[in-house]
Amino acid sequence: MRLFLSDYFVLYLSLAYFFALVPFLPTLSNPANLANVLSNMWPLLVVAIGQTFVLTIAGIDLSQGSVVGFTSVVAAMLLATTASPDVLSNAPIWGIILTEEGGPLGHTSFGIPLAILIMILVGAAIGAFNGFAIAQFQMPPFMVTLVTMIVISAFAIFLTQSENIRNLPEQYILLGKGDIVSIYLGAQDESRIPRREIYSLITYPMVIAISVAIVAHLLLNRTVFGKQVFAVGTNRKAAEISGVPVRRIIVLVFTISAVCATIGAILYSTRLEAGRPTLGEGNFLLDVIGATVIGGTSLFGGKGKIIWTVFGVFFFVLLSNTLNLMNLSSFHIDMVKGSVIVAAALLDVWRTRLMREMNA
Amino acid sequence: MTDTPKDRLTGFIARHGTIVMFLLIVLVFGTQAPNFLGPDNLANIIKQASFIGIAAIGMVFVLLTAGIDLSVGSVMYLGPLIAGFAMRDFGVGVAGGLLVAVAAGAIMGAINAFLIVYLRIIPFIVTLSTLFFFRGFGAWLTSSRQFDFPDEIRAFGLSSVMGIPTPILFFVAIAAIAHVVLSRTTFGRQVYAIGNDPAAAEKAGISTWRVKAGVYIICSTLAALSGFILIAQIGRLDTGFGEGREFDVIAAAVLGGASLFGGIGTAFSAVIGATMIQAVKTGLVFTGVSLYLQPMLQGLIIFVAVFLDSFRASQLEMLQRRFIRPL
Amino acid sequence: MSRQTQTLLGFDRLRKEYFGVPAVTDLVLDVPVGQVVGVIGENGAGKSTLMNMIGGVVPPTSGQMFWKGQAYAPRSPGDATMLGIAFIHQELNLFTNLTIAENIFVDGFPTRFGLIDRAEMRGKTQALLEQLSLDASPDTMVDHLAPGERQLVEIAKALHRDAELIIFDEPTTSLTPRETARLFETIERLKADHKTILYISHILSDVERLSDRIVVLRDGELVAEGPTDEFDIPRMITAMIGRELSGLFPKRSAKPRGETLLSVQGLSQPGVLDNVSFDIRAGEIFGLFGLMGSGRSEMARILFGLDPYAAGTVTLNGATLAGSVRDRIRAGMAFVTEDRRAEGLMMDASIMDNLSLVSIERFGRTPVALLDEKAIAAKTEALKSDIQIKAGSIAVQPVRSLSGGNQQKVVIGKWLINEPALFILDEPTRGVDVGAKYEIYALADRLAAAGNGILFISSELEEIAGVCDRVMVMNRGEVMGTFDAPPFVDTEILALAFGEQAKTREVSA
Repeated sequence: MRLFLSDYFVLYLSLAYFFALVPFLPTLSNPANLANVLSNMWPLLVVAIGQTFVLTIAGIDLSQGSVVGFTSVVAAMLLATTASPDVLSNAPIWGIILTEEGGPLGHTSFGIPLAILIMILVGAAIGAFNGFAIAQFQMPPFMVTLVTMIVISAFAIFLTQSENIRNLPEQYILLGKGDIVSIYLGAQDESRIPRREIYSLITYPMVIAISVAIVAHLLLNRTVFGKQVFAVGTNRKAAEISGVPVRRIIVLVFTISAVCATIGAILYSTRLEAGRPTLGEGNFLLDVIGATVIGGTSLFGGKGKIIWTVFGVFFFVLLSNTLNLMNLSSFHIDMVKGSVIVAAALLDVWRTRLMREMNA
Repeated sequence: MTDTPKDRLTGFIARHGTIVMFLLIVLVFGTQAPNFLGPDNLANIIKQASFIGIAAIGMVFVLLTAGIDLSVGSVMYLGPLIAGFAMRDFGVGVAGGLLVAVAAGAIMGAINAFLIVYLRIIPFIVTLSTLFFFRGFGAWLTSSRQFDFPDEIRAFGLSSVMGIPTPILFFVAIAAIAHVVLSRTTFGRQVYAIGNDPAAAEKAGISTWRVKAGVYIICSTLAALSGFILIAQIGRLDTGFGEGREFDVIAAAVLGGASLFGGIGTAFSAVIGATMIQAVKTGLVFTGVSLYLQPMLQGLIIFVAVFLDSFRASQLEMLQRRFIRPL
Repeated sequence: MSRQTQTLLGFDRLRKEYFGVPAVTDLVLDVPVGQVVGVIGENGAGKSTLMNMIGGVVPPTSGQMFWKGQAYAPRSPGDATMLGIAFIHQELNLFTNLTIAENIFVDGFPTRFGLIDRAEMRGKTQALLEQLSLDASPDTMVDHLAPGERQLVEIAKALHRDAELIIFDEPTTSLTPRETARLFETIERLKADHKTILYISHILSDVERLSDRIVVLRDGELVAEGPTDEFDIPRMITAMIGRELSGLFPKRSAKPRGETLLSVQGLSQPGVLDNVSFDIRAGEIFGLFGLMGSGRSEMARILFGLDPYAAGTVTLNGATLAGSVRDRIRAGMAFVTEDRRAEGLMMDASIMDNLSLVSIERFGRTPVALLDEKAIAAKTEALKSDIQIKAGSIAVQPVRSLSGGNQQKVVIGKWLINEPALFILDEPTRGVDVGAKYEIYALADRLAAAGNGILFISSELEEIAGVCDRVMVMNRGEVMGTFDAPPFVDTEILALAFGEQAKTREVSA
């Protein structure tokens, strides 16, 4: 019972799932695969953390995927070291921002931090716009962010005429792929270690994602801002009368969500080694919301924890991974994912009922 | 209240914002491209709007109960697909296929309804997961390949009765039936009651589970039907068919005046919303706007409509606020 | 007459326990046909649990109920409705987006060929509305009705279902005196039609006036029962709280000081307020009385910066206030709203989170700096014992689990850490039982004695007269007059509130 109601429930569930499957899927526990699970986890986690903030104020952000795609294009068009006219000469940015010599920041020393800064500002502006429309005009978050999603992704596609921008600088790509500490488990006497036997232990994405998670956790649980976020999510009217700057909080929360999506865009596009306007399309958004909700964050606001989201994302990524290992095709994976989301929601229904009864 | 002309104008726009905007859009495109207002083109707009429109009528039922159905895009895919198998492998014919699509839609709706009503999982999550599930199931059936329908289906899809294209007939008939059901039947009025106050509906002795189950079944049924009618015009079904359409459908319903918070909206909301979106799409094509920019403009127009809707809500609240003394 | 003594609803050793804790204990009681039975008791006395059992919402743990002599064990609210039991709650169960007629027929519309037969529905509704003398078309949207009219629709619903037992639960909370009077007439008429009525209310004078019999519950037990003649209000109170209450109101412990704390000059907003001016001194409990729609709560909202105003000035401690809620809180205002569930509390959040909400910015140097959690715990714990909130662990227990009185203390308490100078208390004792009311009055007195000003807004004459130093009366957004010193006379206050000119006493406006 305790276990069922604990914050760590989804983690236990994931571990139980893992150990239950290891005997049948030996590859699951091999280090290369584990490294793979983790590397899939970090970008999704960063984006889901942003969504957690939004769900906590009883909002929803459908525009995250489009922000990922758009900002990946923004960074790529600034940073590309060369670009092929065959692919991109039709794009409206051709000749203005992007030329055969790449983007304006492609060959400068301060280019990467500056490009990242611009990217984050762009993301923040989109988020702030969402938040402003929602807070100021009382428009429903679902519709506002739906529109932002449509407009921003269309704009991103327009900018590159749906082409990818490749040839990103090495240093930038490191953020998505680079190891800080790696281990080698093979024989000691080889003079040349085959690349595939080096297992990443600590990577840049890991450091970035964990830092974001820690900052987000402290922000949500241990600061004035966080308390006020919960207040807005629990009872907006009461929060307003109690002097909580409700509108400011809403704007900031949607800004955080978009900034998280932007950081996610850095991780995704560097892994892909390209800026891609459709990077966050398709089921991406549903993965984000699904993982967050599986963690236990409520769609009705006032109930959310970063640690839940960490576990939810872990479970979701682990699930996808095992399904891949089972050689299931993408449509089977979709079906299982769907069932798992329902199962998680059902568990949450039971948990909530149990807690109510224990408190009554 | 003193009624200045300005107040009256604000009040009018607040009340009929959608229609005003609709007419404006038609006018703007009409002046830009005179062909736009030709009868053929107007009929064409309605015909193309029927796809999102029929599904949006179903969505209005769900939105009225303050629910949401994200699975419609997948239902649009899976419903006709099952019908396609029935037609190809069992030779049920077009009418049979239509019935199979509708029945498949109803079953998918019943699955949603079971999870929402019986297991009490919130609609957003249920339909999010059935969105994955139904599409996965369909892709499994076709091994993610395009599915070609027997030729006879296009004869149906492109047919017309007394000069009126079949899709328009379906659209109009369904809108009329939905209107009668919502305004003149016990079920319909109870849908409104549940959206207004679910707890009170329970206490009033309304069998809320039955009504809620009903709206999800209706929504999926109409989604499957809308998919079938569009497929009947195309003759084949791609794996990505319907993907992301849930948002178009919801946008159409809301654009026409249905509220995401329940209790407000009519069958005509869906008709107006869907027709408006289609008019914009067609208009943009007529005026030669870049294909890439079209979604952006559509998005902006939806934004303005939602903005007007929120503005309308706040204006109506102000108008209805009881003054305790004469102004 | 034997008819009078027939039992409609009976209880035999009826008992309900929640997790082993009894909420209703071995209740034995008969409700006679055709009588009005007043049910009184403090919050938590077991009234709601009893009603929930009658209504089929919860089953009894043991014991039995009888309906017309037959064993009665409803499994759902539907069973109760079918037998002829109707509830009129303080929160009405009407659908504002449907018409009056649709609301009455919502669980079973008359149909012809599968479609709703509007003509029949309209006709039947018209007849019911005439019976209750509600002058409105059956096609009126309930959204457009006043609270009193809505209640009549609710009663029409009960009549339509041939209810024999109608249970009124705090029905007058949101009614104007005129509407209340009409409700009482209706109840008399129902009684004349041999309907049986259970009338639950905290307003003892109403219960005394309406009831034939009175039932008093305390801690789940029946402590007194008998014809109304045998009861007077002091006896009812003694029975309810189990001890003598030395007066309903605490003695004021200090006199108001001289200096003006709050000064409101010429506050106006078209359609809402007209030229409202008054002063509140430090240490004063300044009463504001008005009927429903007098503008009392509207003025409070304007004072607090929640609603706009067209003209006038608000000065607190010599500083003129402008701007938003946050500025006013900073300047030293506190606002306890009349609807504590919707506007006062985060019901599912912990007591600590609620108590620290207003002052949270004091505990972190910047909005994103880490909070001093020890200080929060210490401050809120101190607050809890200071204002005597009866609760377990304040860090864990959600506010939802508290009684109405303790919830209200949390709403007041959340302002205290900031040490504001002026408290606006809007209906601070609504839905709170007698014992807790006393504590809230005492708290108001304490705050005033410490030099704060209190704007005490209430629609209950007794408490206005009992706790305030001065009383201002509003009607239709205007100040009708101010009584400068006790004793305050009910009839005079009411006369002003109804908009009549003050005749008998010196009134300064």
